[in-house]
Amino acid sequence: MKCKQIKGKFADYLIGEIDEVTRKEIQEHVTACSSCREELESLSAIWTKLGVLPEEQPSNNVRARFYATLEEYKQNMQQKKERPRLGTLMDGMFERLMPRRPAFQFSLALILLMVGLTAGYFLRAGLQGSEEITQLRQEVRQIRQITAVSLLRQESLREQLRNAGLSSQVELPDEETLADFLRRVDSDITTDSRLAALDALFPQSPAIRKELARSLSGQTSPVVEIALAFSQQIIKF
Amino acid sequence: MNKASDNNLMVQVRDGNVEKLAVLFERYHVMLYNFFLRLTGNRGISEDLVQDVFVRVLKYRASYQGQDKFMIWLYRIARNAHIDFLRKRKDEVSLGEQWDEAHSLEPSPPEKVEQAQEIARLNLALAQLPLKKREVIILSRFQNLKYKEIAELKGCHIGTVKALIHRSIKDLGKAYFELSGGIAS
Repeated sequence: MKCKQIKGKFADYLIGEIDEVTRKEIQEHVTACSSCREELESLSAIWTKLGVLPEEQPSNNVRARFYATLEEYKQNMQQKKERPRLGTLMDGMFERLMPRRPAFQFSLALILLMVGLTAGYFLRAGLQGSEEITQLRQEVRQIRQITAVSLLRQESLREQLRNAGLSSQVELPDEETLADFLRRVDSDITTDSRLAALDALFPQSPAIRKELARSLSGQTSPVVEIALAFSQQIIKF
Repeated sequence: MNKASDNNLMVQVRDGNVEKLAVLFERYHVMLYNFFLRLTGNRGISEDLVQDVFVRVLKYRASYQGQDKFMIWLYRIARNAHIDFLRKRKDEVSLGEQWDEAHSLEPSPPEKVEQAQEIARLNLALAQLPLKKREVIILSRFQNLKYKEIAELKGCHIGTVKALIHRSIKDLGKAYFELSGGIAS
């Protein structure tokens, strides 16, 4: 071996990570080569000198601090065990349910995804249908109310007769509609229209009954007076 | 000391039996203390760093892989703790000054003066080396780590470690020679 190769093995020689053949080669080389011999002696001297550096002992403080830290850590662990978190419990549950093999895990994930998508699709469709029906019902109710009020305002006898039939289908009329009906009973020009409005107000709430009793005193048509009185008598029975 | 049992103990610590860390502490804390002492030259800092290492072992115990050699894993934590310490201090501790201060507190008896001076010179020579070279000498000479283990710890090739150790011993010899007033012994 050349000097460069020999010098490259000096660290191995000092540390002892070297085979016996290489060790002999180095020893033979340095016997013949003064330059390599000097370098090896120099390195070997300082390497050996390092052996005089003593191993020191730390103070007892190190041990005391370590055991205090360990004790504190154990107490924290114990507290966490006593109060298991919901997330930890859920993790444990899912871990037990999860298959071991990746192929089965993938299949399960795919099935759950499909179930989720299907359920979401049907739920959304059902919700949309329900909303549409409610909206349609409200619209029909509003149309009936508007139609009833509109027909009561018609002057012709034919329309007023139709009014009586339609107005009885109005369920739960709003305040504006009730006020319009009462106004018609009080002061409509035709007797038929007053009677139709009175019919539309049936069945009567206590507030409407009160309004009709007040209207009785101001009526000029005997027929309407009789109808109102008849209405009040029914109430009395 | 059975290295396999070190791994078994650490696996138990990882799995929740943290009491077993006490055994590993008793086995390794003096060795770690001397590792830090030769790196920093300061006894107080070295004790703090030993404590820091075992706190980190508890903190990162879940990351321990059973197949890893415990000592390598421990030294990796120790090196990181030292690097973080240096970052906090912004600059490397002046090792020479630290050693002077430490030895002035404990005067050597007259019959050991020569040996004490030798120790002081060696410590000062070590302190003059860059951290990378000083660390590799400490690991191979005092901690008895093999090339392979040092390479694994530093994340480099074995050949790089060999070359670094060779250069480091050479530089250490030069520094010691200069401190001795140019007298080779």
